[in-house]
Amino acid sequence: MIAVKNLYKNFGKTNVLKAVSTTVEKGEKVVIIGPSGGGKSTLLRCMNLLETPTYGEVWVEDKLLTPVDPYLHPEIIRLSSTYKRMTEGGATDEEVIAEIKKNDLLRRFEGRDYASAIRTYQKQNTLDVNLARRKIGMVFQHFNLFNNKTVLDNLTLAPITLKLKSKAEAEEQAYALLKRIGLEDKAKVYPSTLSGGQKQRIAIVRALAMKPDYMLFDEPTSALDPEMVGEVLSLIKELAASGMTMVIVTHEMGFAREVASRVLFMADGVITEEGAPEELFENPKTERLKDFFSKVL
Amino acid sequence: MFEDLGKILTSSEYMGYIWQGFGTTLLVTLIAVLIGLVLGFIVAIIKIAALNSKWMKIPAFICSIYTTVIRGTPVALQLFLMVFSILAFPGFKPVAAILTFGINSGAYVSENIRAGIMSVDKGQMEAGRSLGIPWTYTMVKIIFPQAIKNVVPAIGNEMISLLKETSIIGWVGSTVGTLTFDLNAASGIIALGLGGAYLAPSIIVGCFYLVVVYAMVLLIKLVEGRLRKSDRR
Ligand SMILES: Nc1ncnc2c1ncn2[C@@H]1O[C@H](COP(=O)(O)OP(=O)(O)O)[C@@H](O)[C@H]1O
Ligand SMILES: [Mg+2]
Repeated sequence: MIAVKNLYKNFGKTNVLKAVSTTVEKGEKVVIIGPSGGGKSTLLRCMNLLETPTYGEVWVEDKLLTPVDPYLHPEIIRLSSTYKRMTEGGATDEEVIAEIKKNDLLRRFEGRDYASAIRTYQKQNTLDVNLARRKIGMVFQHFNLFNNKTVLDNLTLAPITLKLKSKAEAEEQAYALLKRIGLEDKAKVYPSTLSGGQKQRIAIVRALAMKPDYMLFDEPTSALDPEMVGEVLSLIKELAASGMTMVIVTHEMGFAREVASRVLFMADGVITEEGAPEELFENPKTERLKDFFSKVL
Repeated sequence: MFEDLGKILTSSEYMGYIWQGFGTTLLVTLIAVLIGLVLGFIVAIIKIAALNSKWMKIPAFICSIYTTVIRGTPVALQLFLMVFSILAFPGFKPVAAILTFGINSGAYVSENIRAGIMSVDKGQMEAGRSLGIPWTYTMVKIIFPQAIKNVVPAIGNEMISLLKETSIIGWVGSTVGTLTFDLNAASGIIALGLGGAYLAPSIIVGCFYLVVVYAMVLLIKLVEGRLRKSDRR
């Protein structure tokens, strides 16, 4: 499971994500749709910490990837000097916590108890981001194959560098993966000689070479010529059918409907609407989503 | 003029000055280039690392003061400041002078390296990181190899500038037989010997510079060609 809790992301003064929370359970295929600039990529990139959230937490299974966000932990708020000062004034616990959350009252220094509680919580729950990323594959709009490496080296670099496999094992696996997508003959060529569709399929199996538990796709077909979209989508569908947990940002509505177990509609940095694909596509509730569908369908 | 040229070319004293000056120019340039490369590489890495690690922010700030000041002031000023003020110890003149050129070069080299690294598509780093490969490994295995073909020609040109800039080293005192007596200083001393006739010695010394610079240009082209051949795009 990947859980994002109360995620905020600001780029300077622009609030790109505003209090986004969602949990991607094992086996789910979550598809994120929405107008461009709505924060879809940012949310996806927060899930493997390619973007650092401004507030909020990202959890993978029972491990925390981000710093502790004290606003999510009343027991930590209660140790702050701000809380202590406010309760001395006679207000109830509930009132004070609500007030602190609402007005962002926690300061950098809130006394020793508070600091040590945060440190302890962090120590007990944090997972190194590099370890987490091994389990979360990512596929980019522009493929991002390593330009200075052959296709084979693209597939073996991470397993070998991270000492998960010997060179021979990694290469054996790489050939098996290339065979699966019918590109064994491309093992020794450099990415620049490949078509967009081939690059993207190789980028997908490069991620699979790490044997991930989750796959994140950020508009995997948006940079492709139309005739190559099909081959990439069918590989992703195949992967979905094999039980992989995935989060996919896409503008391919037919594909979204087909592959999704849950659809999130993101606009202006919030999840405006979510639900099963049939429900969302047949009966959009918000004006925003109806308007979006009228433009893309 | 031809008479002067003949005089210089047949005089073992004058040719001695020229060869000695030539040796100094090459040696000073070589040492300065080495200092510049090491310094430039370190500074570039610190600046790039600051994008990834907050611990590097303060060192990176110091580095940008260094590159700003060095690139913002004339090398002649830096030379006089180092030789006659900061490092004005007895007998230390040549060392101070060579250090000045090295430190000066380092600022330019660091900017060349940094620009080369920044020119690599940032998706390359993201791809590496998304696979769980640490920043340093991704830098070394993916980013550097792609940056180098932009960096080598730029650094080659920087070395050529440096070779020519060292011609002011004699300004801090060009005693024959010391490491501040370079090609340009040789030209000056010969001109005095010829009663102030600068034309002939300047032509000869100019030819020496030209030949070396041209050789460097060829070498850069060669390396560039090699890199392009192995450029797998
Ligand atoms: N690195 C960044 N710096 C500044 N603004 C950014 C950055 N990345 C994204 N943004 C802004 O955040 C908003 C949402 O971007 P994004 O998550 O890419 O949206 P989407 O993927 O839904 O099109 C956009 O307005 C975009 O300009
Ligand atoms: Mg996007």
